[in-house]
This record gives sequence, structure tokens and C-alpha cells, in this order.
Amino acid sequence: MSNYIGKPLSRVDGVAKVTGKAKYAAEFDAPDLTYGYVVSSTITKGRITHIETSEALSLPGVLSVITHENRPKIAWLDMSYKDQDAPPGSPFRPLRDNKISYSGQPIALVVAETFELARYAASLIRVDYREAPHETNLDTNLHRARKPKSGLASLLKPPPPKPRGNFDEVYAASPAKVEGRYSHSPEHHNPMEMFASTVVYEKDGKLTIYDKTQGAQNSQLYVTQAFNMSFSDVRVISPFVGGAFGSGLRPQYQLFLAVMAARELKRSVRVTLTRQQMFTFGHRPATIQNIALGADSNGKINAIYHDAVGETSQFEDYTEIVPTWSPMIYPAENVTLDYKIVPLDVFTPLDMRAPGGVTGVPAIETAIDEMAYELGIDPLELRLINYSDRNMAEDKPFSSKELRECFRQGAERFGWAKRNPKPGSMRDGHNLIGWGMSTGMWEANQMPARAEAVLTVNGKLRVTSATADIGTGTYTIMTQIAADTLGMPMEDVLFKLGDSDMPLAPIEGGSWTAATVGSAVKVVCEELGRKLFKLAQKIPGSPLAKAKWDDVEFVDKHIRLKQNPAAAVSLQQAVDQNGGAAVWQKSTSLPAMMKQKNYSRAAHSAVFVEVMVDEDLGTIRVTRAVSAIAGGKILNPKTARSQIIGGMVWGISKALEEESVMDHTIGRFMNHSLAEYHVPVNADIHDLDVIFVEEHDDIVNPLGVKGLGEIGIVGMPAAIANAVFHATGKRIRELPITLDKIL
Amino acid sequence: MIPQKVDYKRAGSVAEALSLLSANPDAKILAGGHSLIPAMKLRLNSPSLLIDIARISELRFIHEQDGGVKIGAASTHHDIVSNATIRELYPAMAEAGELIGDTQVRNVGTIGGSIAHADPSADWPAVLLALGATINVEGPAGAHDIPASEFFTGFFSTALEEGEIVTAITLPAPSAAHQSAYKKFMQPASRFAIVGCAVAIVADGGTITDAKVAFTGVSDAAFLDEAVAAALIGQPAIPETIEAAANAAAEGDIHINEDHFASQAYRKHLAKVYAKRALVEACGL
Repeated sequence: MSNYIGKPLSRVDGVAKVTGKAKYAAEFDAPDLTYGYVVSSTITKGRITHIETSEALSLPGVLSVITHENRPKIAWLDMSYKDQDAPPGSPFRPLRDNKISYSGQPIALVVAETFELARYAASLIRVDYREAPHETNLDTNLHRARKPKSGLASLLKPPPPKPRGNFDEVYAASPAKVEGRYSHSPEHHNPMEMFASTVVYEKDGKLTIYDKTQGAQNSQLYVTQAFNMSFSDVRVISPFVGGAFGSGLRPQYQLFLAVMAARELKRSVRVTLTRQQMFTFGHRPATIQNIALGADSNGKINAIYHDAVGETSQFEDYTEIVPTWSPMIYPAENVTLDYKIVPLDVFTPLDMRAPGGVTGVPAIETAIDEMAYELGIDPLELRLINYSDRNMAEDKPFSSKELRECFRQGAERFGWAKRNPKPGSMRDGHNLIGWGMSTGMWEANQMPARAEAVLTVNGKLRVTSATADIGTGTYTIMTQIAADTLGMPMEDVLFKLGDSDMPLAPIEGGSWTAATVGSAVKVVCEELGRKLFKLAQKIPGSPLAKAKWDDVEFVDKHIRLKQNPAAAVSLQQAVDQNGGAAVWQKSTSLPAMMKQKNYSRAAHSAVFVEVMVDEDLGTIRVTRAVSAIAGGKILNPKTARSQIIGGMVWGISKALEEESVMDHTIGRFMNHSLAEYHVPVNADIHDLDVIFVEEHDDIVNPLGVKGLGEIGIVGMPAAIANAVFHATGKRIRELPITLDKIL
Repeated sequence: MIPQKVDYKRAGSVAEALSLLSANPDAKILAGGHSLIPAMKLRLNSPSLLIDIARISELRFIHEQDGGVKIGAASTHHDIVSNATIRELYPAMAEAGELIGDTQVRNVGTIGGSIAHADPSADWPAVLLALGATINVEGPAGAHDIPASEFFTGFFSTALEEGEIVTAITLPAPSAAHQSAYKKFMQPASRFAIVGCAVAIVADGGTITDAKVAFTGVSDAAFLDEAVAAALIGQPAIPETIEAAANAAAEGDIHINEDHFASQAYRKHLAKVYAKRALVEACGL
């Protein structure tokens, strides 16, 4: 029965969030809490020759200044620092030695009785460096591009497939060709909540850690390995996350420093990073791509070349799936793809909403628009000519793909048919109007996960799994799934997450949480239901005594016969039969690999955008956008819509505003504040419309969901770039499209 | 964001304000406070005493005078934009006033405060220059008048002498074929002008016989752009004239501001665009 799944319900944690009851990592208190403040390197590369801490230490109330010179012993092997999202390489170790590898690297932690004192003391630390020349510019280091090392991460991010057919020959002979170079600047995640860890030092030396993370168990693993502690001595709790967008997929350095200080001082320590320090770890890497497309005169694309070069650090090989999106969307027979990285003196890049997807897809989708103009074919028509139900990167059919319906419904809602294709043909006063479109795509993955369900003696259901809710609505949809599976009202169901003591769940990313943890919640509730059914059958005179599992359903807090609803046993009666104890179940959900492996699984979108470009000023406004999404089963249209709207807003940001500006002479990101790192404000956002296209899929996972975390952003940048071209006749291939590129 | 300790006195009359000012050379006049108080919070300004003149009733008036209008210095932006005579005679005043800050700012901020503060991005200075206003001033040596064209002398600087306050602004009687307009490219949060352009023209039988074009936000202080005016006077009020005149804007020997909102080149470009837009409106094209 489905009382809740598919309904537009408000968030179960909404009241806690708006009333301040929801607590974040830096809000948890501890007796005698001390405060750490991080000192950051002012050079980009070189060595610390001297670090003078005496003045800071002389202040009453300053407890310790930990540097590479006096730090306690830490684990020796690289392996010990590998978190669940670590790319191949040698993970960064804070305070390892006197070597500086990037600007803003943490070089000391000042711990004091108050935050203000720690911050002041940090300002008194004097550091002498011996500087070495650095390289931070991707553009001028392209000659150093190389293949990335492979490792565990390559399983989720495989390199592009080998060439197919003969690109060179077919391209040369193609009657229609386009070629372009596409690039974008680095970007930082910039969640509202700063990274913070409150490490509570318990009497026996055990640690309870409140951490900002997308995986409590990932932080736990990292701490136990790096500090050689046992799992039972480290508990990580993270019930709420004030935005993360991928930045919480790896433990950040404040966790390491806070744990080190707590163990050293045998006291509780909180370390919170500043907004400026939020620019001193992972970011979306700058990427440069080249695309060439060849098509026949009917618009059939026969030849695709797509290469990409992304930046990484000198110590880890961060990679993304970039060129592979081209053959995933377009079924050309002759395809050559290439992906390389350039190590630079920056921190290792980090997954950021739709990593690789919102890099590769905007490039190919801009190139497709260029091809539409080359051929004189409507951009939507060209996409339909090249529509495919097979993913040609893997040569497998899609488990479901309602993109055609997205195109149809999105175009109709937007009014695409009324578009005059001629650039500059539509205007309103000073404003040139442009209409553009794009396809979006993101993988629909499922991971193994565990969950626990307990029906208490009072007939309340408690379900737990160690996942995270980064604001997406995980609490809400899991409560819906649990309530529907056992036929209970949502008020009687409490879903909890974000505690490393809970059953195993993967890091919360990749748009896989609804599918992964949702499946685990469904399985555990079903298996709890079987236990309750058996108990119900044991009740003397039970109307279900002879029933089989398949004969019953869970409705309205009862187990009842499908054929005879009057034959029912309440869940309360069933749990009462358990000898005064709650009924408990822990289960594992595994992806149905045998069923899934023959299919490619992905969410799709069709995005239509209107821009207004002031012809005199070059200012661009996105006045209207429609996203039609094929994302499988929609568990909660309200939280789902919020997810897509959030992605669309970020898509506008990526297309028009956002960039981390590096001064290559000093190797530092210069706009490291929200005043200078531009993101949209309310005045930048106009009419956003979301359509969920019906899509049935029983291969992707038992719930039929595909995840919505990333699909909302993927199609936006190219739709905007294409609309800007339609408005102005200027093809901008370099994001963000700022007004200086228009004038 | 906390100002240094400051005393506050509310003056009941201009005479009282002047005597307080002469007794406290370190004092600042408070006339709404929407620029001064933020500056004090940032400790860019730390007077020992604030003399509040915003509630002096003799300073808050708008009345017609010799076919023109005299505006008391303590008139709020809202007082001005809601005055029917001003709206009729000087459309540029209404357009500029409506674009100042938000409702709260317009309800409390005053024209006297704005021009005495002389923020290089404030709206009123450009409009007063274009309309040929006179600034009425009182000080220890008595009352006198300063033409707007001599009042705005530089970056947050005016022709006010030590101990003087602005008491009123006099707008001259517009001639029959007078038209004015104000257009600005504004900072979206503060709504200050990144570039603002005020124009006042007299077009007699299709020929422009007089023109004043003033900019704010472009340079250290609001200024009259004589080159644009020269390119208009004597010419027919047609798009080609406007195009040519607007292209002359912000050229020559003037310092152009630059900040993270707009580079010098983009500001110069904006000056031409907004001169054109204001002139198109004033000429009714």
C-alpha cells in the first residue's frame, strides 16, 4: 500500500531546522571544551624553515600550538589515510613535515580556552619559509597532461572506452562538421555551514566526534586508521549537514587536527574552519575539452571526438567521467575519446555536484547546438534524429529512458515550437531574447547498505542507517518508505541517520542514497514485517493462522488478509506476542547485480531556457527555465522538486556567475569569500518550472527510483550557453559566461 | 560593526544646530543617517557628537518659488518623490528619488544629508547638476548660496565650509520646452549608482537649444559632462544626435572609477549607454 510514497509531503525535519533544534557539528557542546584555530600557509610551495610559536604560547589560556615539529606520532602508511572517496595517490597528511604543497595548507593548530583567544594567538605565529616555484595554471601546463593512475576509485569512474570505428576517416568525409574548445574555471562547494568537528574526549580516551560529513562511517574509518584506534573507541555523529554538495565525501583536515589535539591534550576540542579556509581543500577542477562532431546531411552524427584535461594535485590523481558522456547520449559509430590530468600545486580536486557530468555534458550539448546551426536543423529535432535507447559507451540498452517524453513535455510547456531559430531575432526593448535547450544525464547507481528496524512495545517503528541527509530530504523519504512498507502512519515512524554506530551505509553521494538506503529500509521493514506476521499467527485464534505471507498486506497499523480485510491482527497485538520485548530486525540490501549488469541505468532531463541579454550592457538574465526530468519513481514530489530547483539554480550559477579566480603569480584563489565568489541571489532567479515525466523501471532497484541529487544541474549550463548564442549570435565556450565575454 | 562611543543632541532649530556645531568642531550633522551611521559602524568616521537636524521643522518643506521649487534640506527622499509639483516639473527628480535604496531608506534619508555627504555614487548630485540647482547654506558667517556646479568638489567633498550646514535646495523655474530624465545602472544590493546619468534638455521646435548632462558613479564626484552637452546644443532632437552625443560621454581628462563591480572600461561604456537611454527618454524618442 502506498499512503505516502509519491505524495508531496513536507520535510519531517523541517520544524527542527527552522526552530534551531537541528544541531550541526559545531553546535554540540562538551564539558571544558577547548577551541582550535588553524594557521594556514601563506606560500604555495616550498618549506617551512622556522615556525615561531612562543609569543602565542605565552598568552594565558593558550593550551597548545601543534605544528609539524611537535606533533604526536601518526600512522606511517598512505593506506591509513585513505578514506572511502580517496583517489589513487598519497593522501594529504596535515602537519606531516615542513613541506608546503599548496596555498592555504594547514601548518599549525592553536588550541585555547576560547575561540577568540585561539584566533588571536594564531595571529601571533611567525613562519619563515623557503619558497619554491609553483605551477597552478592548467592552461600553461597542458603539455604535462598524462593518463591518471588507476585504483579503487576507477571502479566508479572508469576511463573512457577505447576508440570505436574510425573517427578520422569518417569525420574527414562528413558533410557537416563542428569543432570547439570548451573550458570552465575551478569552483568551490561553498556550503553555508563551515567544516567543523567537535571532538568529545571521554574519560577512557574514547572519542565521540560531531563532524560535518556525508559519511559518519567514512570519518570513523579515517580517524581509526590515521590514529591507530579501534572502531569501538571512535564514534562519529552527524545528524544534520548544512549543505555539502560533495565536499563532505572526504574527511577534511579540521577533523584530523581536532582529533590530534584532543588526544594530545586529553580534552574536548572543536575546530571550525573560516570561510576563507573553505577554499583550502577540494574544488571542482578546471577542465579543458576539445570536441569535434561529424554528421551526414540528414543530421545523423557519425563521428565524435571528445577529449578532456582536468587538473589534479601533486599527490593524488583525482579523475572524473568527462568525455564518456558523448557516446552515452549520442549513438555514433566512430568515436574517439581521451581523458588526461595535469598535476598542479593545488589541493586535490573533490567531487562537486554532478562531478564530470556538468563538465562533459555542457560541452557536448553546446557542440550539438553548434551542429544544429551548421545543418540548419532545429536543435530539438537534431537530438531526436540522434536519439538512442542504447548507451553506446557500454553498448548496453538503458533499463528505462523516457527522455523522448521529457523533450515532448518540456518543449510544450516552454513553447519551443514558437522559436525563430535566427540568432538575434527576438527582442524586448534593449533586451535580446534567446531560447536554448540541452539534454541532461546522470547515472542511477545503487550500492549495498544495511538498515535496522525496531517495532517497540508501544507500537512505534524506529529505523536507522548510517547515511547522511545533506538537506536533500533523506529523513523524509526514508520515513515514507518505512511507513508504507509496514502500513503505519508517519507520526509513528522515526528514521534516524548520521551515526557510525548505526548499520553500514555508503557515503552519501552520487545520487544513490534514495536507491541505496531506500532499498535497505524497504528490505528491513519487509523482513520485520515477516517476523510480525509470524507473531500474529501465533496469537490464539489468530485470523491469520493459516495465511501465507503472500496472502497478507500491511494497512492501517494492521496485518490483514488481502482477500478479507476483516481478518486482521494489529501490529500492537503482534508485538505484544513477543514476550514483552520489541521486535527487531537488521537487514542488508544488495544491488541485484545479475539483473542490473546487462543494462545501463541513468536519469535523463530535457532543459529549456530563456535568457534576456541587454545588448548594451551585456548583462544576462535567465528569465524562464523548464526542466523535464525522467528520474524513475518520484518518492516525494515536493522534496524532489526542491532538489531539481536547487540544481537549476546552481546551473544558472555555473553558467553565468561562479568561478574561483586563481592569481597564478602567487598560486592562491583570490575570491575566497561569499562577497567575491558570486552565486545567485533571489533577484537572479526568475521562473523555474519542473516536470517529472512518468518513468517505470524495475531493473534499477526495487523502488524504481533513480536519484535526483545531480540531474537538476547537468542540463542547465549548455541550455543557457545555447540561449545566449540564440540571443546574441555569440558562441561562448568558456564558463562562466560573464558580460565581458558578451561585449 | 559597532561604532565608537558618541554623544547625540537633537537640534530644535537651525540656529541651535549651528551653535552646537561651532562649539564642537569634531561633531557631525545627522540628517537621516543612512550613510553616516554605516560609516561609523565601520569606524570610517568617529565623531564625538551627532547633531540631529532631521527633525527641525523649518528644514522640512517643499514649496514653489519663482516658478521653481525650494526643498528644505531635511525633506526625505519620499517627501520629494511624492510631491506633485516636483513630479510634474522635474521628472528626473522623481525618477532618481524612486531608485534610492529601499522604502525604509527613502522614508528616513534626506536630500540635504545625501548631498552634504557627497557619496560619489549618490543619485541626487547628478540630478541637481543637470537641473542647475542652487544649494542654500547657512554658517557662522550667515546664509549664502552655492551653485550645484560648484558644490561637489571631490571624493566625499563639498564646498561647505567648516561649521556650515545645507538648509535648502532651490530648483530654478524650468522653461516651457524643458524635459529631464535620470537613468542608472545600479548595484543590485545597495541600489547605489554604478553609473547614473541625469539629463535636462530644452528642445524648441525639434532643435535642442539647451542641454545639461551629469553623471554620478563615474568619477570621484558627480560632474557635468560639457562635451555631451556641446554635441547636443543646436542639433535636432533625433536618434543620430543622441548617439553621437552619448558617445562623447566620459571622455577627456576625467578620472574614471574602478572597483569589483565595474572596470574603468565598463564604467565608461555604461556612461555612454546610460547617457543615451536618459536622452532618448528626455527627447521623447
